[in-house]
Amino acid sequence: MNPPVRAALDRVPARFHRMVPSALRADLRDRTGMTAPGDLAYVPVPPKAAEGEETGPPDFAILGAPDAGCRWWMSLITDHPDVAPGHGSADVARFFAPYCTAPFDTEAIAGFHACFPRRPNRIIGFWSPDSLDLPWAPRLLADAAPEARILLLVRDPIERLLDGLDRTADDRAPHPGSYLGDAVDRGFYAMQLERLLLAYPAGQVCVLQYERCRADPVGSLARTFAHLGVDPSYRARPLEPSVHGSGPARDRLDARTLERLQGMYSADVAALVALVPDLDLSLWPNFTPRT
Amino acid sequence: MRAVLLHARGDYAPWEDGFDFTPPALLPGESVGPPDFVGVGVQKGGTSWWFELLLEHPDVYDRPGILKERHYLSRFCVESFGSAQQQIYRGWFPRTEGTITGEWTPDYLAYPWVAPLLAEVAPRARILVLVRDPVERFRSGLTFRLSMGAPPTSATVADAVRQGYYARHLRRVLDYFPGDQVLVQQYEQCRADPATELGRTYGFLGLDPFEPVEIRREVNVSGRDKIALDPAAARRLGDLYRTDAHELAAMVPSLDLSLWPSMAGEGSGT
Repeated sequence: MNPPVRAALDRVPARFHRMVPSALRADLRDRTGMTAPGDLAYVPVPPKAAEGEETGPPDFAILGAPDAGCRWWMSLITDHPDVAPGHGSADVARFFAPYCTAPFDTEAIAGFHACFPRRPNRIIGFWSPDSLDLPWAPRLLADAAPEARILLLVRDPIERLLDGLDRTADDRAPHPGSYLGDAVDRGFYAMQLERLLLAYPAGQVCVLQYERCRADPVGSLARTFAHLGVDPSYRARPLEPSVHGSGPARDRLDARTLERLQGMYSADVAALVALVPDLDLSLWPNFTPRT
Repeated sequence: MRAVLLHARGDYAPWEDGFDFTPPALLPGESVGPPDFVGVGVQKGGTSWWFELLLEHPDVYDRPGILKERHYLSRFCVESFGSAQQQIYRGWFPRTEGTITGEWTPDYLAYPWVAPLLAEVAPRARILVLVRDPVERFRSGLTFRLSMGAPPTSATVADAVRQGYYARHLRRVLDYFPGDQVLVQQYEQCRADPATELGRTYGFLGLDPFEPVEIRREVNVSGRDKIALDPAAARRLGDLYRTDAHELAAMVPSLDLSLWPSMAGEGSGT
């Protein structure tokens, strides 16, 4: 497609894209050769490094499910003077999408590194609500950025599931099994963490609980900064938590459905507690042990 | 584009939002009830072939016009599944006196909310699973999904990868159904010796021995080229599945991992 036309179409707000039925949208994209981040054919365009900037592997990555506060936490981290603005762009967040079936060679790794220009003495990273759900991504991330510090944000999986489904209600493929399967799978944190720990040593991985970040952003952020190796006493602004959700699951689901969802996630939550002993289940009412 | 046109005239597939799940009207001599068997996996694992062979048995009721894959339970993840919804599901299983009936929705295995629903609506159903080399299944499954109009995105690929973690999915089924109510067979063994394997399936369902015509028939075989899979990427996928495949072999003693090229060098599960 003609680059100016593509650039113009890229600037069309997402709400207008959503006015086109998803099946037709996919067909149009296929016919016109337009791609978007997350598409298998998408080639990200790295930002141009400014004078004095150098590129290389990211120093950190915030991974986690959508609707678990990744974007908010990234905004707080990049407020730190020793942290470069970095990326929350979909370009980098979904960088690994095509490499399930394609070779992840030195050229691909160089392309990834090019996405992270920073001035000397500053660290840079990215957030991605998707990479953890791509089973092949942690290994590739470790190949491309073996020294990266990983932050994993987790949130009550049922609350996250419901908010995610609400958020995507108007913009998803019309196949309930597929989108529900994807949404549900993203809440199996222990499974994802186990996969991550096959690629990274445990000391490089810090698991943060979204609810605790909301309740105590200062303390949680200090812990985050310490994990990233920057001054933990820095006070980021603003600290207001991002707003999620339209009410607790118990008010949105009938008792039997909630019970089924609890049963679906309970083994994974128990495994997560075993992996992350300081996980506070009292902050996850759907999984608070009965006394 | 085809899908858009079909949807415009109200024509939806059972796996799509918009499908009308009103059960079919009963024919004389038919009654409904919970399915006697439900195949839950796996997509591109030979399930259409196996289901056809099941339907050929004279004691399995085959109502023309009702699809092999009901997909009904796929949508009740966060929706209520009360008696009205359960009645609709049962309505999709007409049968005549002395016959059994069932369905085979191969996506069910990978949907963790389905097993408890199935245990509620059909607690005595016999559960069938056909598994296949997970990397080969991934290639066929992804090719199939893309050919059916799924967007070529990471979500589609992740879904195709996810379906190959058989042991993880099977554990959930076994949380809700006793082991002797679940039969897991290997597609590669079915291809190699269909008569013996089909005899196992019939026996598991309480059916008398029967010899279908043309047991080695080709069913639902795609003529399309499969998606390209870089050799290194294929090895990575094999590595991703290895632990799960070994867990499956421990759960299913008849599984022979040496029949799965992606697990090259792995022995029989026995």
